Amino acid sequence: MSTGTAVASATERDEFNPFLAMAERFESAADYLELDAGVREVLRTPDRELTVSIPIVMDDGSLRVFRGYRVQHNFLRGPCKGGIRFAPDVHIDEVRALAAWMTWKCSVVALPFGGGKGGVICDPRELSQSELERITRRYTASIMDILGPDRDVPAPDMNTNEQTMAWIMDTYSMHVRRTTTAIVTGKPLSLGGSKGRTEATGRGVMLSCREAMKKLGMRPESTRVVVQGSGNVGGIGAMLLHREGYNVVSISDMYGAVHNEKGLDVPDVLRWLKEHRALEGYPDADHLDNDEQLALDCELLVPAATENQITSQNVHKVQAKLIVEGANGPTTAPADKALEERGVMVVPDILANAGGVTVSYFEWVQDRMGYFWTEEIVNSRLEQTMVSSFNEVEACSREYGVSMRTAAYILAIGRVAEVYRLRGVFA
Amino acid sequence: MTTETELQHEDDDLLPSTPALDEESPFATMMSLFDEAAARLGVDPAEYAILRKPDREIAVAVPIPLDNGTMAVFDGYRVQHNAGLGPFLGPLRLARDIKVDELRALAAWMTWKCAVLNIPFGGAAGGIRINTKRRSRSEVERAVRRYAADLFGVLGPDRDIVTPDVGCNEEVMAWVMDSISSHERHTENAVVTGKPLSLGGSEGHSDSVARGLRVILRLALERYKLPDAPSVLIQGIGRVGGTLARLLHQGGFRVCGLSDVQGAVYNPRGLDVPALLACRAENGTITECPGEFEKLSNQEMLAMQCDVLIPCAVANAVHSRNARDVQARLILEGAHGPVSARADRILHERGIPVVPDILANAGGVVADYFEWVQNRQGFAWIDAVIQKRITRFMTEAWRSVSEVQLQYGVRMRMAANMLAVERVAKADELRGVYA
Repeated sequence: MSTGTAVASATERDEFNPFLAMAERFESAADYLELDAGVREVLRTPDRELTVSIPIVMDDGSLRVFRGYRVQHNFLRGPCKGGIRFAPDVHIDEVRALAAWMTWKCSVVALPFGGGKGGVICDPRELSQSELERITRRYTASIMDILGPDRDVPAPDMNTNEQTMAWIMDTYSMHVRRTTTAIVTGKPLSLGGSKGRTEATGRGVMLSCREAMKKLGMRPESTRVVVQGSGNVGGIGAMLLHREGYNVVSISDMYGAVHNEKGLDVPDVLRWLKEHRALEGYPDADHLDNDEQLALDCELLVPAATENQITSQNVHKVQAKLIVEGANGPTTAPADKALEERGVMVVPDILANAGGVTVSYFEWVQDRMGYFWTEEIVNSRLEQTMVSSFNEVEACSREYGVSMRTAAYILAIGRVAEVYRLRGVFA
Repeated sequence: MTTETELQHEDDDLLPSTPALDEESPFATMMSLFDEAAARLGVDPAEYAILRKPDREIAVAVPIPLDNGTMAVFDGYRVQHNAGLGPFLGPLRLARDIKVDELRALAAWMTWKCAVLNIPFGGAAGGIRINTKRRSRSEVERAVRRYAADLFGVLGPDRDIVTPDVGCNEEVMAWVMDSISSHERHTENAVVTGKPLSLGGSEGHSDSVARGLRVILRLALERYKLPDAPSVLIQGIGRVGGTLARLLHQGGFRVCGLSDVQGAVYNPRGLDVPALLACRAENGTITECPGEFEKLSNQEMLAMQCDVLIPCAVANAVHSRNARDVQARLILEGAHGPVSARADRILHERGIPVVPDILANAGGVVADYFEWVQNRQGFAWIDAVIQKRITRFMTEAWRSVSEVQLQYGVRMRMAANMLAVERVAKADELRGVYA
């Protein structure tokens, strides 16, 4: 991943590469766990990588060949789990890193999954719906030897959605000659999807905030919250925090932020956003740009938009006492260090935004038994998972005297390493 | 009761509200009932065309040695209608007079029923053309096992699940389970429902239709503002009618009329249901039982004073010539198609709501689904859990049908049909056309 500026220095490029940051965090956690070089090598290396070419007859009759990947980072703890993205800049290195990220994320919340990730290099904006469908079906057929409810279970990611998942489920089911809903998660409700999935990540973020606040002795009503982002994670997270009695003072979208020191009427802001497709012009608030938003005086900051938002450049302006990472990799490694020195608690992405993969897991469980839970049951089980995972990470951070982030990696990597010891080397 | 000869003179009533089994082309007839639902919903005709044909039909020859050493070949069929919502599920019937078109109609009917109940299955139906009364138990067993073996690879917990129908008891279902399991080389009990409890059967399976009816009855009483403990007439005293009578009597309802094939008993102050059921179990009919009631014909009973009429016996029990005599303020279809299409219109004009079979008697398919879930989990639910969950599924289906009814201003039967078509068409659309 690049910053987009050609003049960026090598150190800057490194700071803005979240995968390098993850690799660094892996090494540091492995040091705490005193893992030997061989085990580290095993855990660093993807178990399997598959590259496929996807020939498609385009709507105009011409033939084009797309390239697709599926990387299975590690299936020691169970079948692989991870999204499939369609994007022009899909790169095998990125897919590998994201697959590893999924291994740690599943492990930190103790789901019985390893990590996987897939992608097809294509630009969905230039493709018709039927071309997308053909790509999805052919890609599925090409990688289906390594897919399966007990092998590898994909999910939606960038530019893929419920419809994409329905096509995958249909293609797989037709090939194996039986209905196999558990092959993929993030499906429509009518085809074996789970209730509560859309808001799962946002709900997980809210629960992470709640648990962290308890540890810090903070109270919702006296907590000003700044949420960066207003989509599936930020928007729903802000809404749930508002409902829990937090004082949400700022929300942002791609173009800017709204701020009201006395607290925003979150449902009203989101209604506005839905109607106008931008926060711009929203009446009952001041308008700031995104950089200014991060420097707002508040107790809780929830970066839930994109990576590399809190950096060595702006970390000194951040005033929050608690940061809960809704997005993947919003805090760079140097910024992380600065926050740790200042005693700011950061609930790391692999824990804070694991609500999504947790409900994906619930979807898989429901598909396997063929019985579907009510939304209340899904939510209460999500709560159990998030709360107990938070407490385990927190206990680990006290035990080792490290940040929540390092603790999350210690816990995640330790669990995988433990399973590796137990299973041994298959031969 | 309507006899076959009577019906033949009444052409209009040959178009039943639900698939009749004595039609020349029951499948086409039944589908035509859903054409209107599709049209009202504005389902893309190309999309709906897929639903108008069964996905797959399989015919197998079932050769078996008879007890006397000679060979006989029976015909076996399985029709699978639509797999959009999940694996197929549907009845197996062992009968002398099996018609493939009838199976098509039944298979489609199962698709719609599962869709209304929001159960993740498509519909199927199958059968073996065999006279179970003339064949020995071991001949029937050999035929069933050979049929199951012939359909190996077609049947399966994620492919097609077999439920009991005419001529099938627990034992027959156990044979199917055993044959498939032996071929699979592992226990595969989720491939059939209606099994004995000891082989993965479910608590409450045999009572499920009656339990579902009771749930729907309560919801209907509330909606149509009828008394909480109304007077009820029940036609039929078998697994559905008899069980329902017992349950309603226990629940404080006044069961005023009850009938079997021989005739009916009626007392406007209420019948002593447990005594009647016990007496019938002994004597084979209620008409010979002692007690305080009037003895009537089946036909007469349908016209007696009551709040609710629940026909649980035969198709077309309420037809154009007796529909005007019905005094009930609400009808629940416990049987399959007990109200003929013309009677349905008459009742509608008279303002008597009819809760259609596709919704009212769907407790059975819910129980099939529960048995399948328990087999997949390898964990059996206690009766109380099953009760609670049947109530939940029936209530949700009732609510969904009521919403469609309100939204489109149609009769409940049309609303249920529309809900079914909408759900199946939506699933097909999401899955797309595989190629």
